[in-house]
Amino acid sequence: MRELVGRLAALDPDASAAVQVIAYFDRLAEGRAGLEATVRGAAVLAGCAARLVDEERAVFLRVLADGHRDDHPSDDDPGWPRVRSGEVELVLEKPGPPSPVDLMVLERGVALARDVLDRTRGRAPDPALVELVVDASAGETARLHAAKRLRLGERARAIALPDGVVLVEPDGPARHPLGGVRAGVGPVVPVGRLPKSYADARVALRFADDVLGPTVVRFDDLGGLAAVAAAIGPATAPAPDVVTLGGLPAWALETLHAVVTSTSLRTAATHLTLHHSTLVDRLGRAEQLLGWEVRGPEGRFRLQLAFALRRLHAHPQ
Amino acid sequence: MTAVPFDPELAAALTVISQNMPSSLTPEMIPLLRQGMSGLAPAEDLTLGGIVDLTDVDLGDGVSVVVCRPVAAPTPAPVVYWIHGGGMIMGDHRVGLADPLAWAVELGLVVVSVDYRLAPEHPDPAPVEDCYRGLVWLAENAAELGVDPARIVVAGGSAGGGLAAGTALLARDRGGPGLLGQLLIYPMLDERNDTVSSHQMSGLGIWDHTSNETGWSALLGDRRGGPDVSIYASPSRAADLSGLPPAFVDVGSAETFRDEDVAYATAIWQAGGQAELHVWPGGFHGFDVMVPQAALSQRAKQARLDWLRRLLGH
Repeated sequence: MRELVGRLAALDPDASAAVQVIAYFDRLAEGRAGLEATVRGAAVLAGCAARLVDEERAVFLRVLADGHRDDHPSDDDPGWPRVRSGEVELVLEKPGPPSPVDLMVLERGVALARDVLDRTRGRAPDPALVELVVDASAGETARLHAAKRLRLGERARAIALPDGVVLVEPDGPARHPLGGVRAGVGPVVPVGRLPKSYADARVALRFADDVLGPTVVRFDDLGGLAAVAAAIGPATAPAPDVVTLGGLPAWALETLHAVVTSTSLRTAATHLTLHHSTLVDRLGRAEQLLGWEVRGPEGRFRLQLAFALRRLHAHPQ
Repeated sequence: MTAVPFDPELAAALTVISQNMPSSLTPEMIPLLRQGMSGLAPAEDLTLGGIVDLTDVDLGDGVSVVVCRPVAAPTPAPVVYWIHGGGMIMGDHRVGLADPLAWAVELGLVVVSVDYRLAPEHPDPAPVEDCYRGLVWLAENAAELGVDPARIVVAGGSAGGGLAAGTALLARDRGGPGLLGQLLIYPMLDERNDTVSSHQMSGLGIWDHTSNETGWSALLGDRRGGPDVSIYASPSRAADLSGLPPAFVDVGSAETFRDEDVAYATAIWQAGGQAELHVWPGGFHGFDVMVPQAALSQRAKQARLDWLRRLLGH
């Protein structure tokens, strides 16, 4: 097909390849073709793999130049030609600068992909609506209306990300891929109570840690720890155990954290890719630095609490 | 009559293809088409970068074959006897071999592709008799070629599919080489050109009613549609389809050949034979060759490969 496009341009300068690209995507739209067919069109017409990314809707789709679907990506190269429409990004996996045909493929391809996504998966949520639905100071009528427009159904949950970013999703399987950044997941509540779910999500977010983990924390899993969060504010002086942890070298922190979050020393060793005896040796030295034994239930609890408090101090809001 | 809609992806590609390939081909276009086909299809590297050995053999009287043997194929190897398409009027044995060669490499088989004489210069029975002669030659020289005469599959697309069906009928009726299977890709089977689908897709897609008339008339001249057409030229005319090897038949739902191909598979079942039939929704004639990247094309190619794999007991 691409050969045909190229040959056509060579044979007849009036019927330029760009015109054929337009006709191609127009016809796809007319036939209500799906997302994969759209991305395949871009890949085949541009003669390279093409990928479509919509992080908001958790869409990642990649088609090779021969038309086969292959969602296992190589690393994204910032030099690749790309175009963005709203949250939807279409990328051609070839070195820039793009040819006029590439540019037309990108422009038409991303426009069609966005239409298809809007048709098949609903519009990307309006950030203003999302903020409204979790805003306790907004009236309940306005919030319920926003929830309806966001198609959240009867029950939903809020998710808090760093820098005040909010996500909402209906009850059911997770819609947002989490784990890339710190995230706190609020409980599922009737949509009218989403401000509470969001408040809880923010509490959960304070326990998320992107160095030692866990990156994603669910409020529902916190239990009594949630109450501890309220006691630690920006002005609260850290407990001595927290100060101690803060003074430990990285290897000791990693070792202690792995041990305290694993069911056995053997699991912890596997996690750290250490030999069992090496771990035991390291743990002994870490315990010396720490000042207490962590292999019994009490010492273990004390260490877990210290780690929890440490995260709360690191994220005081 | 309402036409069957094309698959959206294929329809989009057709907007590009139809600039080069009109739906309706008429007899006066034959010379240009022959020129165009050789110009359109860039010379394929049939060695696939050196992993397939090629041997040309002249069988005399205007017929030749190319033997394609993957270097990794066993001896003796199963063999696909390939008959090219082109409406009985164009094409040659070295064009359109991408899929047969892919099977050869994947399944470790040898492909023998026959260059039969074309209509209208060589009307019926020249094409199908040439194909049969090539098959007999293949079976007789199996040992020398390193192929297993008990595992010969005849195969072809479009006119090549029709000729493959005709060759299988000839082999049955003349007590010729035994065949393991017949792989009929949207075969051109019925010279009467009067099914619902042959009218329904008039002026649309690839190889419409007019093109079909052009091809069959070149082959049969005034005999077309009359009482003197053999079942080997027009296999749809065969009243008895018993005693044939297992068949694979596939066809697009949006093409001239849909009804005759479905009917052929049905007649094989009714005669107590084995057939696997696929009707690809929204496929136009030759969609998988012209738009190999499309989702439907990928499925069609996979189905043929799977059938061959099962047939060969791999």
